[in-house]
Amino acid sequence: MLKMNNISRIYQSDTIQTHALRDFSLNVTAGEFVAVTGPSGSGKSTFLNVAGLLDNFDKGQYELDGVSVQGLKDNELSRLRNEKIGFIFQNYNLIPDYSIFDNVDMPLRYRGFSASERKRRVEEALEKVGLASRLNYLPSQLSGGQQQRVAIARALAGEPKILLADEPTGNLDSLMARQVMEILHDLNKDGATIIMVTHDPDQAREVNRNVQVIDGQLADFRVYAPLDRQTQQTGKTMSEAVTEEVADA
Amino acid sequence: MRSASMLTYNLSLAMQSFKRAPSLYFLIILTLSIGVGVLCANLALVNSMASDPIPEKSDKLIHISMNTWPGERPPDEPMHILRYRDAMKIAESDIPKRSAVFYATGVYARDSESTSMKRFDSDVRATTPGFFELTNAPFAYGAAFEKSSGMEVVIGDELNQKIFAGQNSVGKTLELDGELLTVVGVLKPWILRPLFYHPTEGRAFNLTDDIFVPLETSIDLNWSIHARSSSADNYTGVKETRDKNAYYLQAWVELENTKQRVAMQSYLDNYSQQLKDAGEHPLATKNVLHNVNEWLTEKKVIDQKVLAFTIASVLFLSVCIFNASSLLLSRFHAAKFEVGLRRAIGASNKHMLIQGLTESVLLGVFTGAISLVLSWLFLKLSVQFLPRLENIAVLEPRLLVLGMALSLLTAIASALYPIYRANRYTISAELK
Repeated sequence: MLKMNNISRIYQSDTIQTHALRDFSLNVTAGEFVAVTGPSGSGKSTFLNVAGLLDNFDKGQYELDGVSVQGLKDNELSRLRNEKIGFIFQNYNLIPDYSIFDNVDMPLRYRGFSASERKRRVEEALEKVGLASRLNYLPSQLSGGQQQRVAIARALAGEPKILLADEPTGNLDSLMARQVMEILHDLNKDGATIIMVTHDPDQAREVNRNVQVIDGQLADFRVYAPLDRQTQQTGKTMSEAVTEEVADA
Repeated sequence: MRSASMLTYNLSLAMQSFKRAPSLYFLIILTLSIGVGVLCANLALVNSMASDPIPEKSDKLIHISMNTWPGERPPDEPMHILRYRDAMKIAESDIPKRSAVFYATGVYARDSESTSMKRFDSDVRATTPGFFELTNAPFAYGAAFEKSSGMEVVIGDELNQKIFAGQNSVGKTLELDGELLTVVGVLKPWILRPLFYHPTEGRAFNLTDDIFVPLETSIDLNWSIHARSSSADNYTGVKETRDKNAYYLQAWVELENTKQRVAMQSYLDNYSQQLKDAGEHPLATKNVLHNVNEWLTEKKVIDQKVLAFTIASVLFLSVCIFNASSLLLSRFHAAKFEVGLRRAIGASNKHMLIQGLTESVLLGVFTGAISLVLSWLFLKLSVQFLPRLENIAVLEPRLLVLGMALSLLTAIASALYPIYRANRYTISAELK
């Protein structure tokens, strides 16, 4: 689904060259739920921006759903973003004076769907996040968690191949964060491929795979045991895994 | 279908944008409207001044200037006014298709059968009959008088409205300065901008005359000259001028082609040479023919002050565009989050460009509506300061179209740089 090989992203100022990503390689297969963790400034967001075609990269190869993105023109990149990617932002990024319907409808406008098709998709997406009854509300009339669910609906409405979530629960209290994570897990169960940047180690543990980014590079490809959602038993932490390996040795 | 849907969507986004910052957009619209309005008002004046008043044959109608001055201190250039015998020499030529010889005079007019003694101060054109066909004067009733003499008149629509309430007054009798003349023709409303047959002495934007009277009749009735005249001889009244060196008549001829123009020039030059040979004047032969537009240019009909103000208006509009552009830039800057979001979820640069242009076109439409109202107000204001512009301070349909087009262009011009800047924002930098 997503193949990055030796991607480098360098920010150049007058005097300083910063390697935000350095020979970054990652392969995400369809249906995976990948958490990207790492300290602040490690390159997580740059990775997500490059993955979401919101930012360029300087070296390497990137293939999204079989399409090599190097050298694509602006309109081709826009179409890829529109058709294959759904974004979920930490700050929800809803337009405050648009109704919930209009916010979710927005990406569909650029796809050229008919009015009836757009209506169907918007209603279905809002149904999935449990907000079908709030079509005409304004974002300010919803709680933070509900606003993030609207943002998820907006990302889902175009039926993208992959969802990119940038700290989707970063602005939510624990209860609302839980609700949002439940929705993401449900979507993943239904086959959605999700890459989520998070600071929360518990959330990282819940998913299929956690990749850690440090200094613009992947720190570890270790696969964590996923959360057993039926028994609510958590997977192993990094230190547990390392301790176990040392003991085994 | 898809593009129609996007157009509707972009229009709704533009309206939404206006609602978000109504004061700012009002300021932008007002700024552009004032600029366009001032320019349009000036263009309306220049348009009237520069327009061809008789396009169907302006190149065929020729004004004649001659130099036959017999006395000392002759004018440097041929005179646009002629003496009676020179003018008659032109009128009797069979080279032109038609000719008109005339002078401007004035009388007080009243319906001779009216019980009211109210008289109307009226501008009179004392002319040979060819004037009407030469100028394409439009008749509502009756026809032109057929001879240069006779107690007959043709009256204009305005005087007919005043005296005869707009009725068919052919056959009625007018009392003109105590003389009774019969109306043989009534003109339809007739506007010439400029008044090409008499653009001198600041009359270029006067209305057409109220009364047209046969030339010989006017001279016989001793109706005075109400325009420029020069004389090398003494005389006490116009009726004495036929054999005097009194210059006050203007002559126009209608020439079908260049060949006729050359022939007319030759005819006049021969005539001047004969006069010179006879010792009647010492001047080099110099007779000048001007067609309508050449004559209007020669007489500098376009007011240089209005022209200068129009150029200043263009500069003022440029400043308005710059200011509007600055305001729009701040607006687009404030909206860069939304631009980033739209780009992230699939809008291309082209989409954003079209959205920005749609907004600017809508801005242009509002600007157009207000600027046309302002143009009208500015014209009314300019007439207050320069009353002589009253007859040309008119917003013609093509000026309305031009005003709307200018508004659209200025609105788009104002938005181009802000749109360009908005599309240069890094998407990821605007979103978190």
